[in-house]
Amino acid sequence: MLPGFGYARPRNLREAVHLLSAPGARVQAGGTDLLGCLRDGVFGVDTVVSLSGVPDLRGIRRALDGGLVVGAMTTLSEVAAPTDVVKGYPTLAQGAAAAASPQLRNQGTIGGNICQRPRCWYFRGDFHCARKGGEKCFAAEGENQFHCIFGGDVCFIVHPSDTAPALVALEAVVRITGPNGSRSVPAEKFFILPETDYTRENVLTAGEIVTEIVLPPQPAGTRGTYRKVRARGSWDFALAGAAVVATITAGKVERARIVLSGVAPTPWRVPDAERAIVGRRLNKRTVRDAAAAALKGAQTMSGNAYKVELLRGTVEEALLALA
Amino acid sequence: MKTPKLYFVDGAVPESPAPTDTPAPWTETRVVGKSLPRVDAYDRLSGTAVYPSDVVLPDMLYAAVLRCPHANARVRKVDGSLVERMPGVRAVITGDSKAADLRWYYTRTVFTKLFDPTCRFEGEAVAAVAAETPQQAWDAVRAITVEYEVFPFVADERKALEPGAPAVHDGGNRVGEPEKYQRGDVVKGFAEADKVLEASYRTAAEFHTPMELHGCVARWDGKRLTLWDSTQGVYGVQQRVASLLEMPLANVRVIGSYMGGGFGSKLQADKYNLIAAVLAKLTARPVKLFLTREETFLCVGNRPPAGMRLKAGVKNDGTLTAFDLTVLGTGGAYPTGGTGLVDWLVRDLYTCPNVRTEATDVYINGGPSRPMRAPGHPQGAWALEQMMDALAEAIGMDPVQLRLKNVPTVSQANEGQPPYTTTGLRQCLTEGAKAFGWDAVRRRSKGDGPVKRGVGVAAGLWIAGDGGPPATVIVKLFPDGSANLNMGASDIGTGTKTVMAMVVAEELGVPLEQIQIENADTGTTEYATASGGSKTVPTEAPAVRSAALAVKRQLFELAAEELKVPANQLYIEGDAVVSTKDPKVTKKIAALQGLRRRGLLIGVGTRGPNIEGKVINPFVAQFCEVEVDTRTGEVEVLRFLSANDSGRVMNRLTYENQVIGGITMGIGLALTEQRVFDRQTGKVVNRNWHDYKIPTAMDVPADMTSLPIDVPDPEANTTGAKGLGEPVTIPTAAAVANAVYDAVGVRVTESPISPMRLIGLIAARGKRG
Amino acid sequence: MGHDQNDGKGGCPQGVSRRGFFTAVGAGALGAATLGRSQTPGAPPAGAAEPTKVTLRVNGRAHTVLAEPRWTLLFVLRERLGLTGTKVGCERGECGACTVLLDGTPVYACMMLALEAEGHEVTTLEGLMNGEELGPVQQAFLQEDAFQCGYCTPGQIVAAEGLLRANPQPTLEEIRAGMSGNLCRCGTYAHIFKAVKKASELKKVAGR
Repeated sequence: MLPGFGYARPRNLREAVHLLSAPGARVQAGGTDLLGCLRDGVFGVDTVVSLSGVPDLRGIRRALDGGLVVGAMTTLSEVAAPTDVVKGYPTLAQGAAAAASPQLRNQGTIGGNICQRPRCWYFRGDFHCARKGGEKCFAAEGENQFHCIFGGDVCFIVHPSDTAPALVALEAVVRITGPNGSRSVPAEKFFILPETDYTRENVLTAGEIVTEIVLPPQPAGTRGTYRKVRARGSWDFALAGAAVVATITAGKVERARIVLSGVAPTPWRVPDAERAIVGRRLNKRTVRDAAAAALKGAQTMSGNAYKVELLRGTVEEALLALA
Repeated sequence: MKTPKLYFVDGAVPESPAPTDTPAPWTETRVVGKSLPRVDAYDRLSGTAVYPSDVVLPDMLYAAVLRCPHANARVRKVDGSLVERMPGVRAVITGDSKAADLRWYYTRTVFTKLFDPTCRFEGEAVAAVAAETPQQAWDAVRAITVEYEVFPFVADERKALEPGAPAVHDGGNRVGEPEKYQRGDVVKGFAEADKVLEASYRTAAEFHTPMELHGCVARWDGKRLTLWDSTQGVYGVQQRVASLLEMPLANVRVIGSYMGGGFGSKLQADKYNLIAAVLAKLTARPVKLFLTREETFLCVGNRPPAGMRLKAGVKNDGTLTAFDLTVLGTGGAYPTGGTGLVDWLVRDLYTCPNVRTEATDVYINGGPSRPMRAPGHPQGAWALEQMMDALAEAIGMDPVQLRLKNVPTVSQANEGQPPYTTTGLRQCLTEGAKAFGWDAVRRRSKGDGPVKRGVGVAAGLWIAGDGGPPATVIVKLFPDGSANLNMGASDIGTGTKTVMAMVVAEELGVPLEQIQIENADTGTTEYATASGGSKTVPTEAPAVRSAALAVKRQLFELAAEELKVPANQLYIEGDAVVSTKDPKVTKKIAALQGLRRRGLLIGVGTRGPNIEGKVINPFVAQFCEVEVDTRTGEVEVLRFLSANDSGRVMNRLTYENQVIGGITMGIGLALTEQRVFDRQTGKVVNRNWHDYKIPTAMDVPADMTSLPIDVPDPEANTTGAKGLGEPVTIPTAAAVANAVYDAVGVRVTESPISPMRLIGLIAARGKRG
Repeated sequence: MGHDQNDGKGGCPQGVSRRGFFTAVGAGALGAATLGRSQTPGAPPAGAAEPTKVTLRVNGRAHTVLAEPRWTLLFVLRERLGLTGTKVGCERGECGACTVLLDGTPVYACMMLALEAEGHEVTTLEGLMNGEELGPVQQAFLQEDAFQCGYCTPGQIVAAEGLLRANPQPTLEEIRAGMSGNLCRCGTYAHIFKAVKKASELKKVAGR
């Protein structure tokens, strides 16, 4: 049951930033993640600051350079709808379509999706874990079948977003507005590992709001896909996933970005795997090499060793889908 | 026949009086057996049906329960004093409250206090609050301070008997002596076998999670209490609540005319009934207490996990020579039957002279189990039916043929090995295999690529499904020929009301839309046991028929006078009574003066006893086809066929619906569902519908076929119907496991077959495509 | 459950600046603000903020209620407006029993604050009726027996309505995906798929 809180619906970004700068204020975009966290007591709140009254945050427009600008309040359904995103950025559209459930995609926003809190059952449950300011990560010695095999340190969450790996693979830029003005952060730098700060998942500081996501134009011959494996056919987060964007000319991979979901506390880019296919044709052998490279450095715990083998298959399938 | 007690029922139940005469079985039917939409479809589809959770009474308060967050703890001190002054709070009760000083019985003899300081599982009730809004009630619950003394716990039944394991109860962690069964001589049986196989199996614990939350609304009118309860049986709740509150039955009314699913978890009263009643009394206002979804994962039951070791012997010609099964299970922190019926299929499904079983039930610090859709049976089928597949392979026989070779004619596990009234297992297997195209798809290639296809079969029977007394039903005939059906049974979604109205229509010719139904209200409807055990149709339908016939007799007596024709020479045709001798001698029911003068005809019907010396069981065989991605371990179920012998098909449409529902639930057991305890704290970590994964629309095939073996069972009861709701889910998970094996050659003996489990097995066995 | 004491509560300033700010935004028609009650250490949790007047348009009618900011659309529909066709299954966006249409699009009423629904058209199960007659989707669910206990059914019907408004002739795969935000524990999905197909035909015939 939700705790008590105040509510504000500012009418422009400046007001929103101002309200959010107050301690105890929390931003609400679609609300689907925020209300869940509040119900579970993951964190408290004094004032919910809704962005639903702020104009110009929702919608997709063409950028001057031919890329796209996606407003942070654009719903996942709109991102996944058969429009410019699907045509130019299938990786992102597929990621958005693979998230949550139809209704949650109608409510949840792209900005909210990349800022959502982890789905770790200790973090969401009544465990005072490290990410909530507690002494330890319960997953380390506990039920960690859904936890990370890369990038864990103190905390072993996986990043829950299906759109974030696509954005990293697409070299998107996240535009942020805060008390000190606006800034742009490459999606790849937006997410932070526990070693940097195990209580946060991204670079946002107090009062900052994600306003837009900028998708750069893609070179001719660029293809993309997002392959997600989950324990249940809908409404489930990735056990392992791979977002791939590759430019293929004359049958050979010219450039490629491979970013994994479900295996690390951030979208996890695997440069070794990218190098394994650049300059080569996508075939069974190169794909196998790339998948093997993607697994390098994996560190498993008692319950998540399966992720290594699962990831191998996931990466292979994602790459073969582009062949 | 000796039928094990499946459900905990308080006190003695009244036996029905013997029926005055036993009607002959129907030879042909006009209404029964058709595909007809539900009589209460409008109510459920328009939103006019008022479920207990929909009840909003004037001046109503909302309650919330503070539950122990520890797996094993003692409440040292609860302080609710600060909370009483919080906004909206109207009452706070704890273990120290006089009004809440009540006993709660987990079994007939094992009891605690309503709020007992000893909390043996996470989720045990500690205190409760009533407030003006549910939000305020929860504010208060969160603010109550409790001092707990936290003890070590045991949450894994496999560790419960280890030396040094924390004792859940003073006497240790064994729930009585192991339950043993033996017939023949298994040592001799294994010696006679050409092949002997042995394997370990395990099914994970499941949660019922019906869509409507558990809870009730309580209202007092002086000394009289009314509960609107989401329950499968209003009379059972009435009995228990009345007895614990020491009230006359007549002063406790329980209403549950609609309810949103139970699957066995709502067969009994719950602490929330008492808590709501106490808070309503204290505040002198109605109180609504519905649990949160999260709470329902802790304290309203589960299907216990089952660890099974099965050894089986078979001759090369397919003759089974011996089964030896050991079971370890747990019903949680109280003796609620952690291993109940897990061994029944091994004992009874196939002809086998030598069988030994031993079941050890232990305590853990977990929520108490409750019967869940065919208790014990899907677990037993998971082991037995995978073993049958392995035996078939070992002797080079088709798995359908091996099962056919061992179809029983008598119930070997019942004393004296009595015959079944009907055994449709052979037809289920042969007709099912034919309709599925079994022989052809078995021979087909599994596929060259990484994605493999396979098919599987599994069979089952359900120990109950016979029904029986008591049941009383009243049918009334209004002077215009329309009717009223009054029965106590809940329609938990199986279509009970529809089937019963069809029985009335069959006997009295009343169109379904002219039958008013009152049900599941102890204040106004007749006695019925809880809807569970797949016994509602075979229990209630004969009583309904008997009531309708009682009305018919009176109607014919009235008509006989007016038509000057003997009563035994009349029948009903449409809305008229007609002479069998001369169809022109007829009168519309609405035109019968005698009926007008009487105003109403009332027929009382009861359920007669079951046949002596025979066993009434439903049978089932299921076939499925799956696709397995060997690179990811993902399993997609492509199609399912269920061939069921449940006696007469009462309504083909709702019958098919039960079948697809059972398959869907079985797919959950097979592929996605499992309770997970945190090993460090003993707390349930997957207490919501994201972390506890029940099947969605994406997890089940659209291609599901119901193939009824529509053979009325004339000895079962006067309608020829046997139970259906449980048998349909018994073999499902095993059939999926067998299909996965057929596809990739990997036998998954532990449920669920998630990608997490399967991908590792595929890789380890080099089965990657 | 969840007996964690919320953190982040003590830090709220008594907020002259905030209050001043609210004065500024509170005047506008779109602006809506309600203060969380501040809390002194040691006192019981503050509980709700003051109730606010909310006007909701539901099934074509305007309803004005006093709602706490934390009240969800689901709570207001069921417990304040008596529109209990919309069911409560989880209150955490994980079952779909509370599905309503917001401006014609299916959403979970449990995952939306009532305040957030202001300015939108809410359609519930009751709003899909033709007077006392079942609407086409409801009729299709009746014909195909696409329910058992019926508790998830209102959400299924509203989700199907939303799906068919966006995609009047869905394929089987589109139906499955479109209905994948609604759990049915009775397991009637196979009949639900048929019913959505049937509803698509009935709607076409009815021209709506």
